[in-house]
Formats: sequence, structure tokens, C-alpha cells
Amino acid sequence: MPQQGGNRKVRRSGLTMPVVTPRFVDNAWRRGCDFINLDLEDSVPQNLKGYARGLIKDAIPNVTKGGAEAFTRINHDLVESDLEAIIWPGLSKVNYPKAEYGWEIEKLDRIITRLERERGIRPGTVEIGANIETAIGVANAYQIGSASPRVREFGGATGYDMSRDLGVEMFVGFDQFVYGKGETELAARALNHEVHTAPFTANTTGSVSDPDRAYQEAEAARKCGFRVGGGLHPNVVDPQNRGFTPTEEEATDAVNLLEQYRELVDSGESWSDVNGLVIDQHEAARAQDLLDWRQLCQERDQEKAQAVARVGEEPA
Amino acid sequence: MSILVRRSNLIVPITNSHFLQGAWRHNADAVTLDLEDSVVDYRKEEARTIVKDAIRMAARGASEVFVRINKTYAQADIEASVWLGLAGIVLPRVESPEEVQEASQIIGRMEGSRGLEKGSVQLVLLLESARAVWKIREIIQADPRVTQVALDESDLAGSLGITPLPDQDPFVYARGRLVVEAIAAGVQPVGVTHPMGTQPRFPSSGEMLQIATDSKNLGFRGILCPHPSWVEPVNTALTPTQSQVDYYTQVRDIFAQAIAAGTAAVPFHGRMIDVPVDEWAKDVLAMAAACKTRDDQKREALLLAGEADPRPDS
Repeated sequence: MPQQGGNRKVRRSGLTMPVVTPRFVDNAWRRGCDFINLDLEDSVPQNLKGYARGLIKDAIPNVTKGGAEAFTRINHDLVESDLEAIIWPGLSKVNYPKAEYGWEIEKLDRIITRLERERGIRPGTVEIGANIETAIGVANAYQIGSASPRVREFGGATGYDMSRDLGVEMFVGFDQFVYGKGETELAARALNHEVHTAPFTANTTGSVSDPDRAYQEAEAARKCGFRVGGGLHPNVVDPQNRGFTPTEEEATDAVNLLEQYRELVDSGESWSDVNGLVIDQHEAARAQDLLDWRQLCQERDQEKAQAVARVGEEPA
Repeated sequence: MSILVRRSNLIVPITNSHFLQGAWRHNADAVTLDLEDSVVDYRKEEARTIVKDAIRMAARGASEVFVRINKTYAQADIEASVWLGLAGIVLPRVESPEEVQEASQIIGRMEGSRGLEKGSVQLVLLLESARAVWKIREIIQADPRVTQVALDESDLAGSLGITPLPDQDPFVYARGRLVVEAIAAGVQPVGVTHPMGTQPRFPSSGEMLQIATDSKNLGFRGILCPHPSWVEPVNTALTPTQSQVDYYTQVRDIFAQAIAAGTAAVPFHGRMIDVPVDEWAKDVLAMAAACKTRDDQKREALLLAGEADPRPDS
């Protein structure tokens, strides 16, 4: 069962964008994302790193005015200077790329803790996203995931960096990352973190803007118990929001199943077989989780709609 | 840092003089002279006496030469194998770091007594049991001589009591673990995709090319070849293709233009090119160059030996 509890975040869709590209940043709030990931890392040229850092403080209120959370992806080798520049009120998460050892996360935690104190941010607000993108990271997944209470979401073990480290071409039509994804998911589940991963779906194009694929992948991910999306192109935002949200029909089925389970329990039984489908406490829990998640998604959509209305401009 | 190009490693039964004499002609990056499974027990001692000359013979085509020893007779086999020209020892059935260290110590002594550069003889480890797969991290990191590690899937299947079926891959996890742990430790993973690992056979060249390409795309940097027919498709599959070289040359140009224009993320044929893609492009181009250098070395060796080059110009 996925992560439970009152603090569960709805992060179905998100755009990672270079903070140095004003047209991306200025329009980010209009995209309907659950989060925006302001990038200081791979999409920012080396000679613009310093300039990019200086943009984050103002970018945070800019990208969150449509109700999205603001994250920042920092550089693996520029932790101190990046963190000094980005930990400001309104930031929800620091994404740390190529996480390989627990001590790296502990170091981030110490710096963030100090900056939260100095800048009037509630202690523990800023999460750490430990991105697993190398073989060493996979090998040390549990150590990394357990290094700080700020790590609440976990995963990776795919993508360009991982492929490069393994020395493999991407988009070859079979699952090259099954072991790494399995290891990181196990670590995340054992630590009760939300899992940031997806089941394999063959993709030989590498397209970052295909809405149909985005929907299929999001729906498949949700059905495998994953809840976190994200991408690079505005085309994939709405499909991800829809794909990660249980449908009306699924909600109706879940309500019916819970009803049948209650009747079953009232009759003194613990399981039954209805039209070839088992109804038991596990299925009931799964149905309840689906309804809870759908409720959270709807609340999140409402929050975003209200935020957009407050801005007083057309979102798109 | 130089790139280790050891795409194909042809295993040759040392007591089969026909195979041994022809081994250098097959264009393998490495040849492994086998003292283990392909040598019957009563010929083990005779086999050891062949090794010194066999190393020279197998190296004529510029292949690196390895010797697979018997775990049971590790000391005698290593003593019979560490001669000038030996690239390394293939250590089978490894189950503990201590075994690796012990082999390394014996090798070290022999390097000293036979005038080989200290630390020059490498170790290639074969993991063949659940215990070995479980303890892989300690085993791989046991000694700096270790440059490659492989699963022996046939023996692993045997030790687990598995009768492999062609359509059901029993070693997705073991293979994945090997690749990740090896790369994390800076050691090359060696292996082949199912069903070739558990049921090696002699597929068509095209089929072998696909299998070797899939193996490469799982992270394997080399393949142990039980038959010479595997060598060319393996070399081809583990060498970047000309179209990859062309594509990644273009990627590098486009990325450089993007950087000059102030961004490190640029769309290209529906994909997004950013730093890791450019880094991968560098890796592919460097690998292509390293493979060419290696192929040139082997070609020159063949010409020196007075053999016509069987390969087309690359």
C-alpha cells in the first residue's frame, strides 16, 4: 500500500525548467502543474550557474501563484552555494541529483536546517528529493533514503544519467532498469516513502511531449501504486494529472466494493468471490485508498483553481 | 582515463590443439585458455604444461590472453599460468572475498619470480552460486586486480536446481545486481542476455548480433564467447555504430550551439538534449575511438603474422 497519512502530497505533474529561461518561468503558473522544478543543474550552462542562483528567490512566488509547489534542482557539486541561494519561504523541496551516499544527504540536511532557522521558515519544511541516477546510488539506496527525515519521496534509477553510468543507450524497447527500480522501490517502501518510479512501457522514440504516452504511463504508474509524475513539456501536464487521478468509474467500483465488504463483515464472513473477483480486507483497503487518493486529487485541483482565480488572469 | 575494450573473450579448451592453434585468428579482444570445465580431470596436469606456449600462440592476433583456472587447484594452476604475456586469470566459482585475495597473493608472488610488472595480472571473476550473487559487493571489491566480473549462468542454474526454459528468464535480478554492483565498484560487468547465458548455442550471426546488442543495453561491457562464431557479432554489437557516431556528433554540435546561445536544454527530434545527453555523446564517441584503436592493433598483428586481414576496413 502506498504511503499513508495526513501529509500525503499530490504531485502528479510537474515541469522541470531552466530558471534562466524567462518565458518558461513566467508562464509556469499557467500550466496546471502540481509542482514546478526550477532547474539549476543540467539545463543551465556552466557560465550561467551564478546568475541562475540569483533568480530563484523571485522565481518561487512567480511559479507558485497558480497553486503549484516550487522545487529547485541543485547541482551535485555546488551544494553550499546553491542552497544558500534557494532556501526561501515558498520552496517545498530541494532536488539533489546523483545522490550516492547517506552522508551527502546528511550534509544537505544540516545546511537546510540552518537556513530555515535563519530565514524564518518552519523547521523541517523543505524536503530533500534524493535522485538516484547512478549505480552507486542504487547500491546505497536504503542508506540514502534513510539519511534524513526530509527525504519523503524517493526513486529514480532511470533516465539519461543512469543510462550514461550503465553505459547503455536509452529507448531500446525493453526494461533496462528493472533491478535499479526494484531496489529503490524496496528501500522507499521499507522507509514508508512515496515512490518516484514507473512501470516499464516500451518507448523507442524518447519523445518528451507526447500527451497520449504521458497519459498511458501515468495511468499505468498509478495502477502499480505510484503517484508521482513530472516531465519537461507542457503537453504532458494535463495527461499526467488525469492519468494519476482515479476515474469516476473506478471510484464507483470502489464504493460498491466497500459496500459489499461491509455486508460481508456484517454477515460474519471475511471474504467472498463476486463475479470472479475476491472481496476481502485487502481489496477493501485498496478501494478505500483509491477513494482517499481521488479525494486528495480533487482537493488539489480545487486549490489550484482558486489560486489561479486569485491571480485574475486567464491561465492559458 | 583509457577505456578498457574487451568486447569478446573467446574461451578455448587448452587441450584441444586444433582450437588452440586457431584461437588467434578469430579477432577476439581476449582469448581465455581454459584449464577448468573443458579439461578432463586426468589431463589437468598435462594442460598446465601447455599454458606457457599457449599464451604466446593465442596472443599472435593481439588478443589479450587469460587463463581460467580450477578453484580446487588454484595454486598449481596460477603457478602454471603467470608468464609474460598473460593479461589475467579467470577465477571461477568465487564465493568469498578471501578467495579473491588468496588468488591475488599467489599471482603477486609469481609476478615477482617471473619478472612481470607488479599488479599487472588482472582478475576476471565468475559468480556461479546464490552465495556469490548475494555477497557480490565484498567479492568485487576484494582486490584491485579485479577488472571484470561475470555470472556463469549455466552453473548458477545448476546450483539453484533450475532447469532453464528459453522463454522464462530466471536471472533478471542476478544480472541486474551484477551490472549495478560492478559499475558501482568501477569494474566491468560481463554477460549475455537470456537464454544464451543458461543455454549457450550457436545462433545465426544476425541473431547473435541482436542478443549482444541487448546485452550491451543492459550494461554489459563484454561477453564470454564459448564459440568463435560469437566473436564478430559481439565485437560489432559492442562497438558504437556509424549511425550512432553520426548522431552523437550532431548532438554535440547542437548542444554546443545551445550553450553559446545561453541554454543547456535544447529540443532535438522530439528529445531533449541537455548535459547528460552531451556527456553520453562524449562517451559514445570516445568508445568508438577506443574500439577503432583496438581493432587497428589486432589488424596490424594479423598483418605482421603474414595473415590476410579477414575484416573489411572500418
